[in-house]
Amino acid sequence: MGYFTSLIQRKFKDVAGTRYDTVMKEYREFLLTEEERKVPEVRSILMPLDYFVKEVPSVLYDTLSSYEGATVSLVYIIDLEVIRIVEDSLNADTVAEFKRKREAYGEEILRKTTADLERAGLPVKSRMFSGSKFENIAEVAESHDLIAVSKKYAASLTEVAAVSPVTLRLAQTVAKPIIIY
Amino acid sequence: MLYTELLAIAVFLITYALIIDERIHRAVAAMAGAAVIVFTQIVPWEKIPEYLDLGTIFLLMGMMIIVNTARKSGLFEYIAIRTAKLANGSPIKVLILFSIVTAVVSAFLDNVTTVLLLTPMLLYIAKLMKLNPVPFLLSEIFASNVGGAATLIGDPPNIMIASASGLTFNDFLMTMGPIVLVDMVIMLGMLYLIYGKGLRVRPEEQQKIVQTIGALDERAAILDRSLFTKSVVTILLVVFLFFIHSSLGLEPAIIALTGAAIILLWSRVQPDEILERIEWPALFFFGGLFIIVGALVETGLISQIAGFVISHVHTTGEAMILIAWFAAIASAIVDNIPLTATLIPLIQDMGMAMDIKPLWWALSLGACLGGNGTAIAASANVVVIGIAEREGISISFMEFLKMGMLILFVTVGVGVGMLLLFFGW
Repeated sequence: MGYFTSLIQRKFKDVAGTRYDTVMKEYREFLLTEEERKVPEVRSILMPLDYFVKEVPSVLYDTLSSYEGATVSLVYIIDLEVIRIVEDSLNADTVAEFKRKREAYGEEILRKTTADLERAGLPVKSRMFSGSKFENIAEVAESHDLIAVSKKYAASLTEVAAVSPVTLRLAQTVAKPIIIY
Repeated sequence: MLYTELLAIAVFLITYALIIDERIHRAVAAMAGAAVIVFTQIVPWEKIPEYLDLGTIFLLMGMMIIVNTARKSGLFEYIAIRTAKLANGSPIKVLILFSIVTAVVSAFLDNVTTVLLLTPMLLYIAKLMKLNPVPFLLSEIFASNVGGAATLIGDPPNIMIASASGLTFNDFLMTMGPIVLVDMVIMLGMLYLIYGKGLRVRPEEQQKIVQTIGALDERAAILDRSLFTKSVVTILLVVFLFFIHSSLGLEPAIIALTGAAIILLWSRVQPDEILERIEWPALFFFGGLFIIVGALVETGLISQIAGFVISHVHTTGEAMILIAWFAAIASAIVDNIPLTATLIPLIQDMGMAMDIKPLWWALSLGACLGGNGTAIAASANVVVIGIAEREGISISFMEFLKMGMLILFVTVGVGVGMLLLFFGW
């Protein structure tokens, strides 16, 4: 460090003291960082759905439509573990009825969401399968640029938990930008 | 030469050297120097109140309380965002508007707080525009030093001069105001000519900048709406009272302390929180300097130098030119505060041989605008360069010197010319 630089630093410390740190802390409250200012390039959006997601707010369609040209992958998952428990405890006819009802619900929400997304100008691919609501989504998320997931995904909300544990875990572990609606 | 004179000179020079180098905090250096002077009784204990300029110290203290209370409301951040929005994404407008706002705020509040609060916003905008931030930072520094020269409360040298001479707020505004106005126009014109070509962004980029800055909510910067209103009202009241302080027969320091009492009483902010934020080291720095310079007066050294100057200077005009240029060039090397503290008794001594009123303006002009000469000449320079360095932007000593000296010579030259027009040769 040259004499001039160290002189400026000494004088700065004496004149500004800790005031600069306070000022910067205050500015950080409302100035976006360089990273925050960058709009990520989004070509594919993953949108997991399940029995607990009853509706998608229209504001989400507005937000997603700003990613022009991005394809939305709608994935409806029926929890495989739940099916196994049902199979172990109920007779075959009841299990079939359970599956039919879940699939019917899945098809209905996929159809409705696909229509809404297409109206917002976004191309959509949709599929339904049985699997793990966390692991399968985390795996599929790798090939997408953004995840849009409901806070009710995989669990009904309680007063204690405002966001479902699976959604929270996805936000914490998947290294992709995430919109929680 | 007497032992006491030698000791007074040694303490003075060593303290100056310590202030320039700042390996020891300037306040500690001044206090240590003052301690030697008092300990050796060069300035006797009973004479300390005579040299300790309470007018300056209390005025600074009052303004510090007002500014620190107002700062808590988010007033300065609000001003910064509004200015950024007004510039509409144009680099030239950013340079001009921020310079004007800096100059106006510096004219009424202290320069360090002004640049400390405006520089982060200026750097943010320069980053958004992907432009070299150095021209913006230099213009802010120059505007702060030039703007501060306009009023009695704008820069510490003016506060000290007013306290010593009895010149009023309106005297400063009427004499220094026009000079500052002309110098600001010239300074901005020079910066435009030198840096203008590089200050361009493509229209689509400008649109993006406008969008990003437009997204900033100045209302979100207001941390306490009630305190914000009370701060604005108190500052306006204090400025109004400064305008009429001579008619009321009140010292400027009384106005500042009254303003401080009003804002503390009205806002109900915890006083210990605000009083802790008073820049006590700065006040002790001033106190120490007054004693050290008092030693030079007490030993008769200042009178001898004044006598020497008077014998070589024949007219007030010559004295004005000498003081303005000496103060300007010396301020560029030494901090302008100790320099002003030294020159004030010298000018007072010259009062026996000539009309010294024009000399106070020459000192104000030189001491305030001399702050633009080098990177270490004024506190505002150090703060802006220090912030820039922390953000990874380097302004070298030579880079600053080239522009700073150019601005110094032109603005002081114009100022001296105007003073000669006002007061004659």
